[in-house]
Amino acid sequence: MFTCPGCSCLCDDIVVKTEDGKISVRNACRRGAGIFLNHNLSRAKPKVNGKETDFDDALEKARELIQQSKSLAIYGLDTTTLEAQKLAIELAEKKEAFIDDNSSFCLGDFVEMILKGELPTATFDDVRDYAYVIVYWGVDPYHSLSRHLSRFSYYPRGKKRQRGYEEDRFLVVIDVRRTHTAMLCKKNAKFFQVRDDLELINAFNQVLDGKAPSIFPQDIPRVVKEMEKSDFNVIFGGLGLKYGLKGNYDMFKEFMGKLNARTNVYFIPAGCHPNMRGFNELMFEKTGSVNKYSFKDGKSSNDFAFYNLLKNDLIDTALVIGTDPLNSLPFEYAKKLAKINTIVVDPRVSFTSEIADVVLPSAISGVESGGTMVRADGVRVELKPVFEREINDEFILKKLLEVV
Amino acid sequence: MAFAFKVVNREKKIEECTPLFEEDKYKKQREELLKLLEPLKEATETGLIVDEDKCVGCANCIVVCPVHVAEDPNGAGIGRGPTIENPILRLENGVVKVVNMHLCRRYGKNRILCVACRENCPSDAISFLEG
Repeated sequence: MFTCPGCSCLCDDIVVKTEDGKISVRNACRRGAGIFLNHNLSRAKPKVNGKETDFDDALEKARELIQQSKSLAIYGLDTTTLEAQKLAIELAEKKEAFIDDNSSFCLGDFVEMILKGELPTATFDDVRDYAYVIVYWGVDPYHSLSRHLSRFSYYPRGKKRQRGYEEDRFLVVIDVRRTHTAMLCKKNAKFFQVRDDLELINAFNQVLDGKAPSIFPQDIPRVVKEMEKSDFNVIFGGLGLKYGLKGNYDMFKEFMGKLNARTNVYFIPAGCHPNMRGFNELMFEKTGSVNKYSFKDGKSSNDFAFYNLLKNDLIDTALVIGTDPLNSLPFEYAKKLAKINTIVVDPRVSFTSEIADVVLPSAISGVESGGTMVRADGVRVELKPVFEREINDEFILKKLLEVV
Repeated sequence: MAFAFKVVNREKKIEECTPLFEEDKYKKQREELLKLLEPLKEATETGLIVDEDKCVGCANCIVVCPVHVAEDPNGAGIGRGPTIENPILRLENGVVKVVNMHLCRRYGKNRILCVACRENCPSDAISFLEG
């Protein structure tokens, strides 16, 4: 059995077989299976200034750029292992650099609230065994975390949930449109199509205060009543919730507090990157903040988010590990990577690797190199490699650390 | 209608309706019927049709299957990949594949028209001949 590094579910029941050079994958979703099946496609090659070279030359150039850098930023890291993340944080600390990952515009804020103990949380195993009302808020797991419902939440039978989804679970989906996940809301379920998440929280608060809600006058009291039937309910919050809150996290925490005064409602982030939470936890242990950190200033700030560092021309060198900012960040900011020294450590060719000064090809974490990752619920999962590749993120980061 | 049901259930073949194939005046009806029965070729013995292009591999169908829950309580029953030798459905290379239709409650003479897998497939990757 192998663990799939495709998303934050980190499914550990994957069977991979190779016969006559043909790979077959069992139990993985389409995204997960693709990582194993296509691991040899679009592989990056070592490059310096756009020209192919051998790995040692590329590594030497990367070491030189890092050594000469006066203002370095390390970015990405959500798809690599805890072991590699630790080395990257060490590198940033020694170099007094900036360090950030995708969680600064993804679900880092929720992870920080959980790590600070401001939101009650639980593990997926607890959810499977005990959860009754399961809320998906601003997330469409059918597409982004395909096995989430069948593996951990709504469909599996658990210790105290043995009668299956039709009797022992209550599904709530909150979204701006009728997503594929919302289509699963049939019997014992409710779909809230909302325009404004804050308006919905206000309506829930009204019901919790004993008043009639301004919207969904029948459905909100019913959901609260269903939650009161059980001592274990869970909210999975996604990017839709994060951006729907418009920064009003105190309002959300207050709402969770009110709900928990009535019954037990836990919160688990439903993000996509396989080891985003791992990076957040390591940073939290070391600095007390989860992301966008400057070791020079000794603090975390929005100004130190990678896109702001690019926007404000605050860095001369970027070390991009396992992510493609030219694809995921606004082009207006990401294009600045072409003007500064950019080192890309990635298994595959990406837009960023095409404009990078140095490209260091690496192993795919969890497929070609082992290690530990942290699931979205905070459980540490061991990954063992299916195929072997000597040069992985850990190897590269150790080599880069030698020069600082 | 009895003959039609037998054809759909694969107890009889449409070719056994001799007038339809021997008499020219039924040519138009014959063509339409053959077209109508085209999906039968892709359907399994229980009438289940899987459209792999629509499947994302969520495994909802595998975990909700009451037979899987009964036969594999510590595998598919708790959300993991099936641990029994020949489950009805299994994720292979990212999409659901029919492995062993004989276990399905819709199989055989005393069948139950269970639709749990189809009901929990929001992308309509699973359908049945009867609609």
